[in-house]
Amino acid sequence: MKLTYNWLKDFVEIKISPQALADKLTMAGLEVTSLEERGGDFVFEIEITSNRPDCLSVIGIAREVAAITGKKLREARGPQPKVQRKNKKVCGLSNIDYRPFSINIEDKADCPLYTAKIIKGVKIAPSPDWLRARLELIGKRCVNNIVDITNYILFAFGEPLHAFDLDKLSWERISIRRAKKEEKIVAIDGTEKSLDPGILVIADKNLPIAIAGIMGGKAVEVTLDTKNILLEAAVFNPLLTRRARRKLGMQTDSSYRFERGVDPETAISASWQAVKLIQELTGGKIALAKASGVTKTKSRSVDLSASSAAKLLGIEIAPARVKRILSDLGFKPKAKSKNKFSVIVPEYRQDVALEQDLIEEIARIYGYESIAKTLPLFKPCISEEKTIGQVSLVKNTLVGLGLNEAITYSLIDRNLLSGFSMRDFGKPIEILNPKSQEQEILRPTAIPSLCARVAYNLNQKQEYINLFEISRAFLNSSSVPAEELLLSIALCGVKSYALSRGIIREEAGLLNLKGITEALFENLGIKDFDFKGESGYVGIYVKKEKIGIMLQLEKSALEALDIKNKDVFVLEASLDRVFSASQLKKSFSLLPKYPGIYRDISFIIKESATIKEILRAMKEKGGLLLVEAKVGDYYKGKQIPAGFRGLTVSCLYRSDERTLTEPEINPLHAAVSNVLTGLFGAKIR
Amino acid sequence: MDIESIKAQIDADIKNVNSFQALEDFRTRYMGRKGAIAQLTATIPALPPQERGAFGQKVNALKTKLLSLVEEKQKSISSGSLETPKETVDITMPGIAQELGHLHPITQIINEICAIFIRMGFSVVEGPEVETEFNNFTGLNIPLEHPSRDAFDTFYLKGHEKLLLRSHTSPVQVRAMKSRRPPLAIVVPGRVYRPDAVDASHLFMFHQIEGFMVDKGIKFSDLKGILEVFAKGVFGEDISMRFRPHFFPFTEPSAEVDISCIICKGKGCSVCGQKGWLEILGSGMIHPNVFKHVGYNPKVYTGFAFGMGIERIAMLKYGINDIRAFFENDLRFLKQF
Repeated sequence: MKLTYNWLKDFVEIKISPQALADKLTMAGLEVTSLEERGGDFVFEIEITSNRPDCLSVIGIAREVAAITGKKLREARGPQPKVQRKNKKVCGLSNIDYRPFSINIEDKADCPLYTAKIIKGVKIAPSPDWLRARLELIGKRCVNNIVDITNYILFAFGEPLHAFDLDKLSWERISIRRAKKEEKIVAIDGTEKSLDPGILVIADKNLPIAIAGIMGGKAVEVTLDTKNILLEAAVFNPLLTRRARRKLGMQTDSSYRFERGVDPETAISASWQAVKLIQELTGGKIALAKASGVTKTKSRSVDLSASSAAKLLGIEIAPARVKRILSDLGFKPKAKSKNKFSVIVPEYRQDVALEQDLIEEIARIYGYESIAKTLPLFKPCISEEKTIGQVSLVKNTLVGLGLNEAITYSLIDRNLLSGFSMRDFGKPIEILNPKSQEQEILRPTAIPSLCARVAYNLNQKQEYINLFEISRAFLNSSSVPAEELLLSIALCGVKSYALSRGIIREEAGLLNLKGITEALFENLGIKDFDFKGESGYVGIYVKKEKIGIMLQLEKSALEALDIKNKDVFVLEASLDRVFSASQLKKSFSLLPKYPGIYRDISFIIKESATIKEILRAMKEKGGLLLVEAKVGDYYKGKQIPAGFRGLTVSCLYRSDERTLTEPEINPLHAAVSNVLTGLFGAKIR
Repeated sequence: MDIESIKAQIDADIKNVNSFQALEDFRTRYMGRKGAIAQLTATIPALPPQERGAFGQKVNALKTKLLSLVEEKQKSISSGSLETPKETVDITMPGIAQELGHLHPITQIINEICAIFIRMGFSVVEGPEVETEFNNFTGLNIPLEHPSRDAFDTFYLKGHEKLLLRSHTSPVQVRAMKSRRPPLAIVVPGRVYRPDAVDASHLFMFHQIEGFMVDKGIKFSDLKGILEVFAKGVFGEDISMRFRPHFFPFTEPSAEVDISCIICKGKGCSVCGQKGWLEILGSGMIHPNVFKHVGYNPKVYTGFAFGMGIERIAMLKYGINDIRAFFENDLRFLKQF
């Protein structure tokens, strides 16, 4: 809402500077978003919240200024026409035309009030300078005196008016009705609009002449040759206006106000203000004034007690002060007892319905800044939301392992999934109203989004990309979409490790993902897990249940992401399932009491024998005394024949009951070694 | 090999021992299981009985000498190694350690904010991103068709009537109040969605953090106190803040909270639009209608709620000028935090 300093002064005495006024308005809830000095005046732009349609006018803001600064409002009284009762003739129509004139409201719920005034003999011309200046300062284009006056009244009083060229109407019967199916109207902006019964129109005897509360028709607009006008001032249903505005895609100053609510009292008084100006500036004379509908709403009152205000705000405000603030704002507080009031709400304050609403009025004029800061006495809750702590643990573990956290959009273009066939994603959940193709579905997986970020980083010439994301995936599996918390990891490129003997570079691979998973499980207290090669990917199992997969990205996916000459390795795991298996409770096991004996075995073995098989066979043979058998080294190279690899397994023998001796261990270790030769044909080195 | 030549060999070898590893090798070579001493000892049974005694003594003497040599060397290595390192290290070489990873700046801000509220007794709670129309709007006193809803333009799901992507974290207020009883002090971080046109300060997905406290006797002045602790905790002790009346359907009275511009300290700059103030959050006393929807008696309980955009806080705090940077996930960006 734009208005000027001088325009405000029409309605209220202002003794403070425009900047000081702007600050005060802002701190009373009317945020001044800009203040500019222009044409000898100051232009304020004020953000009006949707609950305050009464402030979408200069007089509305003047009322606030009056309350804030403690000045009286200069109620701009309209001209006092001799007759202003509804449905009465004001003065005879000219001798040209004696048609009867009627207003028919089809449904009072759609249009609680419609008033029409016939003004004859207007002379269309440009508006006087003062009027043009005001409208131009607030950014409105001036058209002609009649249109400018209706705009001026709209901004001054908040009541949208419309003037029709009377001679272009079959005006004897004005109807406010729903549009008929397939009815059309060409609006003043020149666009043809198709109407339907959801849209309210103003019609003359034959045709729609305006879309109610939004825009008039082109065919009946005021032009340079207009002599007589019909001036409309009405109240239209906010919801209906809103729906029509959305359906037709036309937001106007008029629809903006009707959608938020205009009160009958304002409509009536503003229309007389307009008549006054039209008579003064265009030479027209009012010929007839008619109204139909409710002209006054029942007054409402809300109870207020000073003690509930004190309880809600945390400060005591004297009843006298409370009374003064409310009166300044146009409320009528009546004392019921020492600190209880019955407050009559003015008609233009449709937003005030509860005691809390009144308390806010008091607080904002009293000043939020005058309310103290306190800290509540509060009994804190001890229990902790489990998942949040676990998610933090996972994130911190991964960051500790050198990974970087990414956050990508949960809404994606469905084409992003193409090329990814690692699992069946089901039918994705579609968005009803996406703004672009990039928002058309809720993603069932984060892997493609993460890989797209890998591609982006490759384009930025990053050597090693290691990203992870923890986010929800959305599954269309049941009637209500399910959300699953997923961990997604993508690795790509060459990682450099600084060692004392030099920097080594190594390409990322599946074993990196395995190592990350193992570290994660260790931190989550998960011991029972396994990795199994399956078709196209490696399954990650926890307690025999598959909780995720890891794989090298297939060619189709790489092509879809335009990744060339690089391999990408990804992991996707359901954190919901991981967390249900995690054991964060820690307990201590006694450290070994007796020393152990270490023995290494080096051997050459067929590559077809997996580490898992080899270690399992060794442990079986070693029995309880072989407490640990782990890979100490592995190598392939010149000395090793093709199809074989060299391995060193470190064995730890230990007993909980005694110190083992060499004579006891030597034969056992020999037997363990023999398993390798016997079962796998290994050659001990 | 005779004892004398072994002795000479020992004397020669010990001079070349300069590290603990070399000393250990030396010890093993002479005193290990298959070392020289063991081998000499092993020859004793084969000697004529009259020579055994003298030979044994010589072997023992050699053993004693070795022990003292090892002990001496051990001392000289440990005391001398710092003063006269054999090999000097170019300390400007790259250090050896695993490269650190980085939490996303949004996560870091969420953690920081949650930590402040946790210190004041709040719990962290999350809620689903797919929400019902009731929890997102009606339960929060936002009429389904009203201009006050325009601020919450919303993505709806196709084929799922009345389901939407939450446009703010406030629906968790409704959920938490329904499933628990006061006293409540809760903060809710999470993703929210709005069909906004994308530019440097708007995205269709971003993060919010919501907070609310409900009990008997919670006052507007408490809201001011709690938010001051928060704002000073995040932006520093020296900021000032102000509460401006505003309108939110789910609070009454409502306030927007500004802090003095952290760039210009309130003098006015391009970041704060020359105002000297930065708007950081919306807040207010929970509307009685919200309490009614969750079955709390508004005459018994009062409470406050507040909500803020994480990206905005992060942009202010880190000096980031384009919100899209958070979702590009450029490693050179992520590694700065």
